[in-house]
Amino acid sequence: MTATAANPETETVDLYDHEWKHPTVVAGVPWKNPVGTASGTFQYAAVRWFYDVSQLGAVTTKGVSPVPWEGNPGVRTAEGPASNINAVGLQNPGVDHYLVDDLPKLKKIGANVVANVAGHCDDDYAEVVAKLADSPADMLEINVSCPNVSGGLSVGADPVALDRLITRLRRMTDKPLIVKLTPNVTDITVPARAAVEAGADALSLINTVVGMRINTRTGKPIIDHVTGGVSGPAVLPIGLARVWQVRTALPDIPIIGLGGIDTGEKALEYLYAGANAVEVGAAALFDPVAPLRVACELDDLLDDRPELAAKLAEGKTWR
Amino acid sequence: MTADTFIPTATEERLAHGRAVVDAAVSHGFFPPRHTVEIADVIELDAGVIRLTIRDPYIAAHGRPAQFVDFFTHDPLKPMPRPFGISEIQDDLVSFIFAVVGKGTGELAGLKAGDVIDVMGPLGHAFDTKKPANYVLVAGGLGVPPLIHAAQHIAGDENSESTAVFGYRKNHFADEYVDRYADRTYSIDESEGNVVTLLDRIENELHDGDLPPVILSCGPLPMMKAVASWAAKRDMPCQLSLEQRMGCGYGTCVLCTTDTVNGRLKVCADGPVFTREQLGWE
Repeated sequence: MTATAANPETETVDLYDHEWKHPTVVAGVPWKNPVGTASGTFQYAAVRWFYDVSQLGAVTTKGVSPVPWEGNPGVRTAEGPASNINAVGLQNPGVDHYLVDDLPKLKKIGANVVANVAGHCDDDYAEVVAKLADSPADMLEINVSCPNVSGGLSVGADPVALDRLITRLRRMTDKPLIVKLTPNVTDITVPARAAVEAGADALSLINTVVGMRINTRTGKPIIDHVTGGVSGPAVLPIGLARVWQVRTALPDIPIIGLGGIDTGEKALEYLYAGANAVEVGAAALFDPVAPLRVACELDDLLDDRPELAAKLAEGKTWR
Repeated sequence: MTADTFIPTATEERLAHGRAVVDAAVSHGFFPPRHTVEIADVIELDAGVIRLTIRDPYIAAHGRPAQFVDFFTHDPLKPMPRPFGISEIQDDLVSFIFAVVGKGTGELAGLKAGDVIDVMGPLGHAFDTKKPANYVLVAGGLGVPPLIHAAQHIAGDENSESTAVFGYRKNHFADEYVDRYADRTYSIDESEGNVVTLLDRIENELHDGDLPPVILSCGPLPMMKAVASWAAKRDMPCQLSLEQRMGCGYGTCVLCTTDTVNGRLKVCADGPVFTREQLGWE
């Protein structure tokens, strides 16, 4: 596997003293490199033992809801071919806890923080955005694409509902609003356009792809929630195609590309597809330092691509 | 490869890379991420039950009883870690015991001494064995590794003793390993009963010395609930090492949870050891 910590051909050992050469800009916010963490795979309390997360372009934290959520009971995960399937159900200690715990800790170490906002309904999202509007979070990401909670996916797949929600949230904050889109739709450019017309400053895509596994001994689904979200190397081509389609439809909107990235070279594919930046998600389940390693590898790959690096530095994209 | 070449083999290169990954992390004050190590030994203890030993100075120096290590197969189609409990540590060798339950564990069982494998650890919280006690090590089936390691750890503590109480389906495959360290070893298989049968039988002996009995347990969920219940009736302290399908193993993905009196906690990073009281088991 190309993405292990064990492949000397493709990998940098010295992750800890890297001098960043190629920054990017996403919706007016400078990132020291074009690589961040993907929401849902990042818990500061777990990751902080492995590397200095302020070295990343951005840290996108796990979705926060107005009140603590317990998430789904029982078995939440299964393995798929070159993938992980998860049905966490956005377990989180709530926005009030986030405001006094993770967020101040991340800002204190100098991280560029994207706060991911979760909800079951419009009022949930509004309550969280109201509390984050005056916080030190650098950007807000509205998660309208979680396949594992009630109301999570329906807004992101319905352009009318999405327009209503983003229009409402837009009036509540001047912070850059990123809308995270689901690939579980026929034409992703429809919700993408709806989000942008309602005032989104940037789009992030893709969230996980709905999937499941069945235990052939019992004949029953492995995950108690039955279906979950597929992520990992298997979804790379899906994410790339979605970014390409949205970039073709919307030439100017900043895009954060994600899905299946576990090397600098795969991150580069997303930048050539038209992304301004990328995020690393499931790869962090297979190696905690994956986001930092991807950032180091990409930074070196951009040395040989000055035209692309120059566009990113100005907040522009390849396509 | 010819005998007169000085070109390092792919295996040697990967092991050197693995050591460099650990050294770079440690020298910067961080925990080592996933890295490549050498397989030192693989033996089959029973049908489908494997004892695998790796050479890893970092894990050997830091691993404690009930801590586990993420193993990664060589197959890119199977990227998820396989978490295995540490069963013994000798110098820089770390042993594990696991069952072949699918294709991933099957691949790991097929490794040989001299092969390489990616690992990360040690992960999770250990049993608390600081208090002088007669630690009663109650294991069922593939729950044996942390309790063999606990016996080894307690053998090095002159203030405590250990009594192993192991239950098997059929073959008593781990007795010879725990017997090296435990002060007393009792075991039972399904033809005679289960670990609770055994606990009932030896209950008086647990109170023979001056040391208070403290239960440490690992095994299938129904067994651990029965052990917790046995302990609760006697007001005996009881620490349980849980198992759950995991994602990352280090606390970032929140895929392996268990319900506790303090809400839904992560088995990998908040556990795997919880007290009976934390779990609310009576």
